[in-house]
Order: sequence, then structure tokens, then C-alpha cells
Amino acid sequence: MGFKEYVGKRILQGIVTVMLAITLNFILFRIMPGDPTQAMVGDPRMDPETRIALIAKFGLDKPLLEQFVLYLYNLFSGELGVSFVQIGRPVMDIIFGRKLINTVILMGSSMFLAFALGIIVGVIAAWKHGTKVDMSSIVFSLVTYSMPVFWFGMLLLLLLSYYINVVPIAGTVTPGVAHANFFEYASDYLHHLIAPLITLAVSFFGGYFLFMRDTILDVFTEDYMLTARAKGLSDRKILFKHAMRNALLPMVSIMGVHLTFLISGATMTETVFSWDGLGRLIYDSVRDADYPVLQGIFLMMAILVVVASLCADITCAYLDPRIKEAAE
Amino acid sequence: MTLDAQTTSGALLRERVSSHATRVKGFWTIYKGSRIGMVGVSLVLAFIIIAFVAPWLAPYHPRALVGTPFLPPTEEHLLGTDQVGRDIYSELLWGTRISLMVGLLASAFAVAIGTTIGLLSGYYRGPLDSVLMRITDLFITLPALPFMLILAALLGRNIWNIIFVIAITGWTGTARMVRSQTLSIKERPYVEAARSIGARGSQIVIRHILPNVFPLVFANAIIGIVDAILAESGISFLGLGDPTQPSWGMILYYANKAGALATGRWWFIIPPGVCIMLVAIGFAFSSYSLDQILNPRLRKRRW
Repeated sequence: MGFKEYVGKRILQGIVTVMLAITLNFILFRIMPGDPTQAMVGDPRMDPETRIALIAKFGLDKPLLEQFVLYLYNLFSGELGVSFVQIGRPVMDIIFGRKLINTVILMGSSMFLAFALGIIVGVIAAWKHGTKVDMSSIVFSLVTYSMPVFWFGMLLLLLLSYYINVVPIAGTVTPGVAHANFFEYASDYLHHLIAPLITLAVSFFGGYFLFMRDTILDVFTEDYMLTARAKGLSDRKILFKHAMRNALLPMVSIMGVHLTFLISGATMTETVFSWDGLGRLIYDSVRDADYPVLQGIFLMMAILVVVASLCADITCAYLDPRIKEAAE
Repeated sequence: MTLDAQTTSGALLRERVSSHATRVKGFWTIYKGSRIGMVGVSLVLAFIIIAFVAPWLAPYHPRALVGTPFLPPTEEHLLGTDQVGRDIYSELLWGTRISLMVGLLASAFAVAIGTTIGLLSGYYRGPLDSVLMRITDLFITLPALPFMLILAALLGRNIWNIIFVIAITGWTGTARMVRSQTLSIKERPYVEAARSIGARGSQIVIRHILPNVFPLVFANAIIGIVDAILAESGISFLGLGDPTQPSWGMILYYANKAGALATGRWWFIIPPGVCIMLVAIGFAFSSYSLDQILNPRLRKRRW
């Protein structure tokens, strides 16, 4: 299979997956017990005019198939409906705004930190395979993997906020404070970012570390490592130029899949720290049964995962031709 | 069947059983050598024992209101009382049952779904494979936690629904792994041989392929238990747990809701989390050692 065919096949698979996700998204909120229109417009918080407008727009009084066509039509014209809770506010507005930025900042920084640490410690542990350093990093990462993220966040708050009071207990900025300039705002924001950032970085670290260590150990057995040694390269050069480079490829491809965490992964952490992001929005929407918002988030995430893993796969196939052969 | 044939098959059977026993024994000998593995198994066993003897260990009924709310630890209430006056220590002991039950059942269901899909997909290939793999992709695409929350909210707050939502979101890894294993095992000579003497597909899958993927499936199931236990605690912590069960995540939900953080009530926050962590560590350590033994890659550095 050539590179072009491989890319074509992956794109086709991606489109099918997105279509399935759209269909599931449509079904999920309509197969639930009771009147199927209830979930969409049965909310008592909604005023009658909006209800009638929505019923017309989404054709909720029509047969399911017709509803599905209308749903697709609305979707492709960028219309995701309006929130039940923040009455009349379009879902697009709620998702693509401040909350998205807050989540991307929190998740981006913590994932980057965990990723970098995971790579560095992973390389060192693999190099010192079987020693105390290796074993203690494994135990550490398994322990952090086994901790409920939200609980670790609570512990941090108990320690850093209640006992020694160095970080604020909640929010993204101090409420009620008028920030004199951008610098002041940024420092307040960063101050609030510390605890959730540590929480998420610790929770991500274990997975990246174990994966990196494993990959490096595999790379060590490859012929080109023997060649590098035979050429008389130093340990350092072998480790960082040859082993690490080759191990980074699989790391990048899992990173691609993890990009969705940028949006979804922080529900629990954001809830513990009252971080005003999409994770919290998901939680609030589930609690308040704000289905249009949930549908919107779901759809956006499905598209993001598909595109991200597609990009990761294509990059990897481009860089390492062996991959597309293995895909057959 | 002649007498002769019967004895032969009896002997074969005995041989098979005994070889199975030696394999298990041999496995255990290697496993004992792993300190991480032994710590894991001991933790798991300890919690299993606690789950069984909880009614005798617990000084109070976990749902009974036995004191004033928010008591700090005293001799009567080792870990204080919660927001309505239940004994936290007793709730923790009983909570072991919920955690283990959800972990074991959800992981077992997930692995069963994943193995079935992986076997079918890998063995039969063709259109069935494409359809099943697109479904798998779809479930990988779904953000697990939000999806679990939505399902839990729509289905209702009940322990069986929680087991269901964890299982339905947790099978994709097993499916992919079993599929790729099946693809390679299918090409092995003994499978070819079985096919050439006219064995049916279902026979080949059950008698020849399944036993060979089982060890890996088992290791997968153990790490699945960790994920399921953590997922249950998360769902419960977010307030979508079963309110009739004293789950550890529920205790933390109430602690958070009652402002235990801002008031420094550590006894309401630390012990439930430690319990979740220890059970999860038990299974995570066991799974790690299991994986080391079952996946002995040729890790010899040649330089």
C-alpha cells in the first residue's frame, strides 16, 4: 500500500467514524425513556415561544428519520441549538469562548509538563534498567496512576490552601478584584493555575513515563543501536540522538490521541478547583440536564479526536514507512 | 468408543490437567520473585478479606445515623462522622464491597465484550471486521468520562447502571489487542492443521485461539479493574453515584459538598481516598508484574 492510498483509507475511516458519532449523538438523547421530545424541549425553564421555535427548527413533531435529516442540516450550517440553562444563549457561543481558553491553558500546560518529564525520566529509567532508580520511578508512576485525580487535588488544596495558605482555594482569578493591568491579571491567573496544574501533571505523568520507558527498552534491541555503538558513539549520543528520537515517534502518536483531553479530560480536576473550563461545563450540563450543550461538546470532541489521531497516524506513516505496511 | 481409546483419552486428559497445574505452579514461582507483584497481591487479598468480614469489623451500620454530624475522630467514632452523623469508619469498611464489586464486574463485562469483538473481527475479517472496527473507533472517539456521566445521568443513579456505563466505555483496548493477537495466531500451523481436518470456525476460535489470547486478556482485565474502580469513584464523586450505597467516592462527594476542605476536616477527606488508592495500587502492581511475566520481550541489550 502506497502512502497516498494509506492516507486516503485513513481519511475515509475518519469520516465514517465522525458520521457514526453524529448519529450516536442524535440517538443518545432521543432513545431515553419517556417522550423523546422531552429531552429536547420538555424543560420547564424554557418559555413557550422558544419551545415552539425549537420544535419547528428541529422538527420534533415529525418522524425520527425526518428529524435526523433536519438535525444534519442544522449541524452543517453550524447550528447547535440553544442552552436550556443560560436561556437563549447559542451552544456555539458557550463552547467557543472563555471556557475553551481556560481549559486549553490548564490542560496544555499540564500535559506538556507531564510529557516532558515522562520522556526525560523514561529515558533515564530505561538506561538504568533494573536498578533502584528504575524501580522507584516505576513504583512512583504506578502509585500516581492509582490515585483518583480529584482526590489528589483535594489533598493539595487541604495542604497548600488550608494548612499553609499559599494557593487560592478556587476559581481562575480572585473574584471581585479589578485588575489594574494585564500583568496583574496574568499573575493572579497563574497563581490560581498552580494547584490544578500540579494535580493534572502528576496524574498524566505515570502513563507517559511507562510508555516512554517501554518504547526505549524496545529501541535498545534494534540493530541500529548496535551499529551506533559499533561506530564508537558515546553513550550520551546513542541515548539522546538515536534512542530518544526513535522512541519519540510512538510518543507523538499517543499524544495525538490525548489531544482530546485538552478538552474533555479535566472534568474532575476542574470541578475540584472550580476552574471555569469546559470540563466543568460538562459537569454542570450533566447536572442541569442541559442536553443541547452536551450534544455540542460531544460532537466537537468526536471531530477533534478523529482529526488529531488522523494527523498523528499520517505523520507517523510519513516518518516511518514500516507503519503503513503493518496497517494492512 | 473402545476401552482402549477411552484410556488413551483419559490419560491425555490427565496429562493436560497436570501440565496445566505445572504451568500455574511455574507461573507462581516466577511471580513470587517480583516484590511489586507480591505487594499488589497482598493488598488485593487484604481488601477481599475486609469486604467479607466488614459486617463484623464495622462498629455501626454504614447507613445508620449514630452520632452528631461532623464529629472529629474519637474513641467511639474512629474516623469521625459524616454530614448526617454516620460513622465514617464503618462506611469505609462497607465501601470495600462496592469498590471491589464494581471493579471486578465492570472489568469482567468490558473484557468479555472486548474479547468477543476482537475474536470475531480478527478471525472472520471482511465486512464484519470493518463494521466492528468502526464501532470500536467510535467508542475510542467518545470522551470516556463525559460519556459515562451522561449515561449515568440518563439511566439513573444505581449501582448496576454504573457497572454498565463503565463496561460499555472500557472494552476498546481489549478488542484491539485481541484482534491483533487473533490475526497472528490464526496463521500458526496448528490452526491451519485444525482447519484442514475440517474444524468449524467457532471450534477453532474457542479451542485454539481463545486459550492463546487468554493470558493477555487476563492481564488486561486486571488493569481494567483499576480503571473501573477509579471510574466508579469519579462518577460517585461528581454526585452521580448510587445514593443507597456507602461507596468511597460518595463519601468524598459529601465531604466536598459539605465544605470539608474549607474547614480542614481531614478525616472526612483523607481516609476514603487512601482506600481507593490502596485497592487500585494492589491491582496496578499485580497487573504490572503479570505483564512483565506474560510479555517477556527479548529485552537484552546487545551492547
